[in-house]
Parts: sequence; structure tokens; C-alpha cells
Amino acid sequence: MYWLEQSQVEILMNKLAESYELFGPRRDEVSGEVIFDRLGNPRQLDLSAPIPYNPPKYILFPHYEEILKYRYDRKTKKVALERINHLKPKALVGLRACDLNGLMCLDRFFLGQEFVDEVYLEHRKKLFLISNTCVRPFPQCFCVCTDSGPAAREGFDLDLTRVGERYLVEVGSKKGQKMVEELGLKEAGAEAAGLKKKVVDESVSSFDALALENKAWISRATNRLTTGFIKPEVWEYIGQQCFECGACSFVCPTCSCFNVEDVNRLDGTTDRVRTWDSCSFEGYTKMAGDHNPRKPVEDRRNKRFFCKLSYSQSKKYLRPGCVGCGRCARVCPGDIGLPNVVTYIRREITGE
Amino acid sequence: MESSLIPIVTVPEVATVVEIRDEIDEVKTFYFSFDRPEIEQAFKVRSGQFIMCTVFGAGEFAVSLPFSPENDRKHISVRRVGKVTAALHELQPGDKIGVRGPFGNGFPFEEIKGKNIIYVAGGIGLIPLRSSIVHVLQHRPEFGRVILVYGARSSRDLMYKESIREWKATENFETYFTIDRPEPGWNGEVGFVNQLVAKINLPAENTVAFVCGPPVMFNSVIKELKLKGLKEGHIYSTLERHMKCGIGKCQHCAIGRTLVCVDGPVYTYKQIKTLGEQI
Repeated sequence: MYWLEQSQVEILMNKLAESYELFGPRRDEVSGEVIFDRLGNPRQLDLSAPIPYNPPKYILFPHYEEILKYRYDRKTKKVALERINHLKPKALVGLRACDLNGLMCLDRFFLGQEFVDEVYLEHRKKLFLISNTCVRPFPQCFCVCTDSGPAAREGFDLDLTRVGERYLVEVGSKKGQKMVEELGLKEAGAEAAGLKKKVVDESVSSFDALALENKAWISRATNRLTTGFIKPEVWEYIGQQCFECGACSFVCPTCSCFNVEDVNRLDGTTDRVRTWDSCSFEGYTKMAGDHNPRKPVEDRRNKRFFCKLSYSQSKKYLRPGCVGCGRCARVCPGDIGLPNVVTYIRREITGE
Repeated sequence: MESSLIPIVTVPEVATVVEIRDEIDEVKTFYFSFDRPEIEQAFKVRSGQFIMCTVFGAGEFAVSLPFSPENDRKHISVRRVGKVTAALHELQPGDKIGVRGPFGNGFPFEEIKGKNIIYVAGGIGLIPLRSSIVHVLQHRPEFGRVILVYGARSSRDLMYKESIREWKATENFETYFTIDRPEPGWNGEVGFVNQLVAKINLPAENTVAFVCGPPVMFNSVIKELKLKGLKEGHIYSTLERHMKCGIGKCQHCAIGRTLVCVDGPVYTYKQIKTLGEQI
């Protein structure tokens, strides 16, 4: 491991800016919210800010993305088709462990199944990832329940852990090693691993006192969802509280359902557009001719939690689809974020 | 054969609609060939697979393939039912479409050699089954009894009249046709397909069934086939869902723990029962 002094963070950012577009947590001046956003100025990076309200998934999987452009001239019967590919390398700095784990879920899903998603791959292969250990949890967090924090274990190029006024830097890739060498960072001694462990242990042990908003009982819920022994009434209860707004999907670091539409432009071309979608929307499964196999809202609700927690789905991500960031609980107007749903399932199990 | 299947994943390949036939009300068949000769050569399918078809300027839809993997003209048969299929119906011969695929698992073929096969179709449910029927007939000696039970609301609603004429004249192919209500000039059966299936003398052992049609018909036929002693794992069907990508990413076609586009569209009834969702 290496030491990165507070004063060297800016040097690191400037170095990255030579080859990458910079993204990281910054505080919005107007709202005061922390956003994982494009950093116009490397100094906007705020490594001590709380977990950003949005996960970084939009950088690899944009809300709205043109994936194809075509023009069809019916008179001459000529088709011009073109893959849209205008992606710059990007550096994601200050990723929380939950968000890095979410990104790895997306990797396994988009790149590791029957087909490789070429659109996602284009985004993914040009990233530089720097994670940031949560030295203390935030109120909404439950990553210790989902085994995805407070420190990242893999997937990063560089991992930062704040120790006092400086950062311990762990190298996770050749690209990361090269960066550390270019910056001429000072090697941390043999005591580094112990120092990091102490910070992480302290963070984990403060969850009870600080992460008060959410508790989740993931393993038992996973078992129940997998075996299917959850009474329909539980889903109906949850379904009744769903506003079908889709916010849970949009702030989830691992939700990746999308819609595809061809949008005609005034210049006579058509863009094939990929947009975010949510399984909570009624139109999600509706077919042409109006047949909808998942009409009741509780049908759609239970599918989302099945997708996050059931064993068969977890095989796609090699871990549960929930990374414990707590964002769904924050945004849900019906108070059925994942931790609450797990609580309802737990109540059913224990008869509370 | 399998190794040469390289699906077109992201960018559609341009194909020309070479001929359009009216099948039944609101259903047309579009014969097509790829503009690039190397794709025309390399595009190989398994029966039961599907493609994502682009109607330029309108969008893309999933459609099952009715043609045999061997020696059959490439075509799709499509009912005008939504925005994109309506735009497809406006096309003329010479117009272009885009094709991605083929996708999905397809019907079993090697595994069912030596077995008796009963195809049961209702209405436009014959479209996906046609690919398997034609393929099996091309290899007729390798199978046991081959039976088709096909029903539609009226004689006007029977698909593929040309194929039907051929099939009626095909030796060792037992065909039964039924319509819901009597009609002057109709000398086939009258009634629902499940009633016709009930009348057929079918050995339970060594027989597989392929069933495709509207959900009501599907359920009644399954009941009949099970009464005859067919195993649930030997009854195959092909499911349809709202699909956007065809490659297991958009998740629109999720049923239970499976995705119709990569785990299906062909499922056994035994599998369908475990999915825990409406078909």
C-alpha cells in the first residue's frame, strides 16, 4: 500500500484529467445534495461527503442513450445504419464500496451472461475506478448486511482509505499501479494493512449506533424468496403501498432494465434509443394487443424483490442484487424500500 | 449445424422484402432475403427460434420464425396488432427491413428422433410450429407417427393454406383440421382443438407434443394430453412476451427466474408450471 497526502489528491485528479473525463461526488451549491456527477473542476471532488443520492450507474448505463442511427429512404430503398460510439474514457473517483459492488453486478450481468452487451462493454472498457472506504456509515446504510462494504475488496484500480489526514492507497490493477508510480506515492510500511483493518473494523462496529434508518435481514429473506414460501397477502400488502413511480429502480446501483425505442428526427433520420425502465410500471410487460401477464401491481412488486434477493437471480451477479446503499428506502414515497420489504418478510417468518 | 449459428446481436442486418402474401385477416407473410450475400449464406436457424425485426422508422419487434432450418424460404408471418406491426403491414415488396438474431433455444429436434410427435395449434399458433413441422417432414423416416391437429375460428382463419394442401397430401402425416362452427363447404371437423385431441388414439409412451395457441386453448389441450398419459416434460410450447433486446439484457420478457429470449421461447409444460407466472 501507499500513502496519498491530502495535498496530493489534487495532483492525482489533474493527472487523471489528462486522459479521463472526471466523475465523483460533489456537493450541489444550491440544494446542498451530494451528487455523483461530472466534475468540471477537479477541486469539486468531495471525498468526505456522504453517500451521493444517485449511484454512478448512469455513467455506464445512461438514462437515455442513442445506440444506433439510421436513415431509410423508401424511394431509393437505401438504408444507412450506423452504430453510435462517442465514448470518452472516464475516471470515477470516490466510489463508495456499495456503488463499486453495484457496478460489478452490472458487469456480471451485462458482460457475463449468454450474450455480451456491446453497448455496455464500450462504456466499461474505458474506466478508471477509485473507491473510497466509508470510515463511518451513513444513516441509510446496510452494506454490512449485504456484504458489500464499508470497504471495497475488489474491482477498483485504486482504493482509498482515510487514516487521519491522509489516505492509504491500495492498488487493484496494473493501471492503478502505473498511476501510483507516476505520482511517486510513498510506500506505506508493513503496518498499513493493520491500519486499514482497524479503520474498517471501527466503521463496521459503528453501524449499530449510526446506521439507524435501515436494518435488513437479507439471508433469511433470500431463503424465503428462493423457496417461494411468502404468503400472497404479504405481496398484496406491499403492492398496495407501491405508487409505481419507478424511483427505486432508478436510484438502485444494480437495476438495469431498459426500454428500446426508435425515435424519428426532423432531419429524416431515426435514433434507436435505450432508456431506463422499471418492472414496477404497468406497461413493462404489456404486449401489443394489450395482453398483460403481470397486471396486478403486487405481481410486479414481488418480481423486483425476487430479482434482488432470490438465489437464482443472485447467480447472475454472484452475490445478492442488493448492495445495501439504502437509496430505495430514501426515495420510496410508499415506504417499501428493500429494507422494509425484508422486514415484512421477517415479520411473516417470526410472526411478530 | 449448431456451431455455425452466429446471431446478429446489436446492429440489425438489412434485408429486402421480396414477396408479401395475405394469409388471413390482418396476417401477412413477408418473404425476405439479406442484402449482404455473406449474411444470406451464414444465417442459420433452429426451428422455434425468433428474430428481432426492425421496421425502419417505426421500431423493432420480436417474431417467431416459421421456416425450416433447411431448404425453406426465409419468411415471417405477422398479425397487425400494434404500432410496429401496423407499419410492417404497410410495406411493399422491395422495401427494407432489419433483422437481428436468431435468438432463443428452439424446439428439440435431435432429442425427439424416433418418437411420435403430435402438433396441436390454434389460430396463428401454427406460425412457430410450422418451422418444426416442415423440418420433421424433411426428415420423415427418422420419426415415429407425426400428427397435426389444427383449429381456427373459421375456415378463413386457417393459416398457411398452401402448406396445408401439401400436408394433406403427404403420406405418413396424419392431419386433422377443425373450425369452431359449421360452415357450408367445410368437410373437416367442427369444434375446439381439445375435443379433437381427445378423439385421437395416441400412445402415451414415446410421444411428444408441441402445443401453441391462445392461453385458453393451451390449457384445455394440456388437460387432454395429460389425460392421455403424456408426461409434462414431453409437452412443449413456445411463449411470447414483450421483448426489447432479444439477448437477455432488457429483462422485459422475464417469467419467474427465466428470460423468454434466452431460456425460451420453447419451454416444456413441466417448466412452465414451475415459473409461477401467468403464461
